[in-house]
Amino acid sequence: MTPVLNVSNLTTRFKSRERNKWITAVDDVSIQIGAGEIVGLVGESGCGKSSLGRTIVGLERQQQGHVVLDGTDLASLSGRALRERRRAIQYIFQDPYASLSEWQTVGETLTESFVIAQKVSPDQYDARATRLLDQVGLPTQMKDRFPRELSGGQRQRVAIARALAVEPSVLICDEPVSALDLSIRAQVMNLFLDLRRDLGLGILFIAHDLALVRQAATRVNVMYLGRIVEEGTSEQVHRHARHPYTRALLASVPQADPRIAARKGFVTLAGEIPSPVNPPSGCRFHTRCPLVQDICTRVPPPVQGEGGHRFACHFRFADEVLDQIHQGYVHAG
Amino acid sequence: MKRILFSIGEAIGRFPKSALIGVGLVFLLGIVGPWIVPYDPSAQDLTARLTGPSAEHWLGTDHIGRDLLSRLVAAARTTVIAMTIVVTCKLVIGVTLGTFAGFAGGRVDEVIMRFVEVFMALPSLIIALAVIGILGTGYWNMVLALVLAFWSGSTRVARGVAIGVLNRPHMEALRVLGASPLRIYFRHLLPATLGMVLVYVSADAGAVALAIATLSFLGLGIQPPTPEWGQMLVDALPYLDSNPWLVILPGLALTGVVISFNLMGEAIALNRIPVELRGKPLKRSHLIAATWQTQTADDAEKNVKA
Amino acid sequence: MTTQNVVEVSDLSVDLLTKGGALRPVDRVSFAVGRGETLAVVGESGSGKTVMNFAPLGLMPVGVAVQISGSFRIGGVEIAGMAENRLRHIRGRSVGVIFQDPMSALNPLRRIGRQIAEVAERQRGLTTMQAERQAEDLLALVGMSDPAQRMKQYPHELSGGLRQRAMIASAIAGEPPLLIADEPTTALDVTIQAQILALLQSLQKKLNMGIVLITHDMGVVASMAHRVAVMYAGRIVEFGDVADVLVTPRHPYTLGLVNAIPREEDLSGSPFRGIPGLPPTMGAPVEACAFAPRCDVVMPVCRTRRPPLQALPQSSVLVACPVGIAQAGQRP
Repeated sequence: MTPVLNVSNLTTRFKSRERNKWITAVDDVSIQIGAGEIVGLVGESGCGKSSLGRTIVGLERQQQGHVVLDGTDLASLSGRALRERRRAIQYIFQDPYASLSEWQTVGETLTESFVIAQKVSPDQYDARATRLLDQVGLPTQMKDRFPRELSGGQRQRVAIARALAVEPSVLICDEPVSALDLSIRAQVMNLFLDLRRDLGLGILFIAHDLALVRQAATRVNVMYLGRIVEEGTSEQVHRHARHPYTRALLASVPQADPRIAARKGFVTLAGEIPSPVNPPSGCRFHTRCPLVQDICTRVPPPVQGEGGHRFACHFRFADEVLDQIHQGYVHAG
Repeated sequence: MKRILFSIGEAIGRFPKSALIGVGLVFLLGIVGPWIVPYDPSAQDLTARLTGPSAEHWLGTDHIGRDLLSRLVAAARTTVIAMTIVVTCKLVIGVTLGTFAGFAGGRVDEVIMRFVEVFMALPSLIIALAVIGILGTGYWNMVLALVLAFWSGSTRVARGVAIGVLNRPHMEALRVLGASPLRIYFRHLLPATLGMVLVYVSADAGAVALAIATLSFLGLGIQPPTPEWGQMLVDALPYLDSNPWLVILPGLALTGVVISFNLMGEAIALNRIPVELRGKPLKRSHLIAATWQTQTADDAEKNVKA
Repeated sequence: MTTQNVVEVSDLSVDLLTKGGALRPVDRVSFAVGRGETLAVVGESGSGKTVMNFAPLGLMPVGVAVQISGSFRIGGVEIAGMAENRLRHIRGRSVGVIFQDPMSALNPLRRIGRQIAEVAERQRGLTTMQAERQAEDLLALVGMSDPAQRMKQYPHELSGGLRQRAMIASAIAGEPPLLIADEPTTALDVTIQAQILALLQSLQKKLNMGIVLITHDMGVVASMAHRVAVMYAGRIVEFGDVADVLVTPRHPYTLGLVNAIPREEDLSGSPFRGIPGLPPTMGAPVEACAFAPRCDVVMPVCRTRRPPLQALPQSSVLVACPVGIAQAGQRP
């Protein structure tokens, strides 16, 4: 299957506010998304997962690499042509309150999308808007409402409808449900599952909630300090993670079952994610890795693995060793 | 348009009443003044010079027998018109340049803002005096001088607001939708910025009013015979000892306008700090909550019986 | 056990009086927390879980008038309706407070060390020297490396996790017997969350504090709390030992929340479980079960009368649902 979106060797740098130093937020990252596939991207805040998504849709400028959409390298386009082509990738923001114009009704918001994309003739606007609202599970009356009259979940649905109005083939969702209430999250998550199935959308799902990503995504990428440290199917990454960071991340999620939680205690990964201004030498995770060895501090790790399950580590630790991270026996000094 | 009106309406709702009354009164007098004044403000009556308050002349007359009340009201009109022209000009310049700088970013932004900083660094009155010094006195020269003296502040505010608006996810969503820069600028950035900047800029209309009076006091602004408060002050100065009200009344009028606008400005600066609930709204809410108390008492009884 | 309670709340209602009218975010709740015990208060936004704990302490935004009825006792002292100047002594001395956003609680213009020392000075009458030393000890206690150096730093120089540690240090500087933590880890990454939760647990053991932990994360509840109060629309709908409530939820809302958590056995791509309908909005108290519109086992009585919170036989659990109680009776 050729992926609908093929991102290769993408690098994004920012100038940091302090002392004009360059920060490499995304460092030589490659990622593929197939049609009808949900790809998860997880990592701690500051790991560059949002920057990667924003670079793909052009909200940040890429320094190197290629974003190839349906066979077209977006770097070869510019101006109007680029805008029209890149429109096929849409972005769903975390904050459903700030991502809608407070001055436009839901109907006006959708109409503006139609006007921008010019794929629908004006006499079809109303019927199309009704269809879109129905598709995201909102009643037609919502057309005349302003965002301030809607709940968080409803706003997020409107944001999704606005993105769908330009008929995209890829959605990039940046923490789309973390601002929503627990009981509402499932409703919006199921909407994404439906859209993928009904419209064949490729979805890049950026989140810090591993459990959510595991259930939603078919493939999962784990990011640390601008690099992807492990990728594989949801099953491979969650049950057979090979990278110590993935293991530690999984183990840190508190279990909702008190019978398990009481036994497990807190598994802590010492320290915090280092500043991307001065990333650690060698393996970037070596400052926090419970299994760190001498070579990790000096040499960047190779990418190894097979069958679509790849990870960036010098070693291939046995399951028993990695399981210790899960059980909290190993603590970094 | 509705969004501009809405943000203005929202801002006005938060202003202290005293500021609203002061500003409202000045504008009202400025607009309907000519129709309600008892005398022609320029009509001289040398037989009735420097009379004190009387039934014919409520506030008395000045040194050449002009009706003081009529002159005060007419001067309000002069101030309101000149102030509105200056404020409108600096708003247009500020919003255009400011949003453009914020939208374009990079070099363009840097060049515009450096230029703004040069003007910010110079005291506004000095700029105004320099412009009049070069061009000479006259109504439109004064307006130009004041616009040049005041445009930089509103440009800076507009740029700040524009950058804030541009960074909102809503604007980013438009970029992702592939909206053209022209659409983003004219349909979204400009209206959103204009509404917010308008409120900020009108708040220092007080400073403009004061500058008009100052220039007129120095003989560089509004020229006689047009009545103007600053000019009335100069005219009245020789009679300070014998007829102090001739000085005090225009002074009070000017002070009132400046204070009203400053109060408004303060309310805008502080509008993020909510005010404590008091008076009638509090009582009304108390009454609503009180009905719940009796309800719950009934309910408790019901529960006991059940 | 009752004499050991650090906080006892009974029949507490909070009305917020605003320009637009009155709201009742907390409607007749009762609970107690003992020394060394953690009570988790779970609920969604607008459930009243934060107002319930903060309104009696006088920690409400300016612009809303608060009217409290019922009782909120900390260490036997009634603080419901207490004047602000006396509440100031309660906060910090009798109860420490941790907020979700440490930046809002720390003064950005003052050094970390000074801020913590100040609490110790004010609440425990220490001299400046003693308080500074105390602050340094506290920073070490909350797991900060190089506390002497950290003392001199400003809040913005610290990462989110370290700021949260600094706030915990200032919250426990007055050695309060009770700690109220409002979503202390929501803004943090999972690895940092684990560190902070572990810290709170070890501090609780050392200082024998009672903790009220306000959260929406069932994982945090299960790993931290002894007991849990589930709130919906300003009312406690289920209350009891965590091991009972999370394993066999009786209230349909609790059941929905527990079911909504993705499980290990859920396949990739399988639909998510949630609760249908919309979350409640704050307003006047309703004479019915607030959850009735979203409930799939709703009975006619639920729509006309507020179900009382009743104890289940031979269980630690109280539940406000006639269906939940009937089911518990069938399964002894």
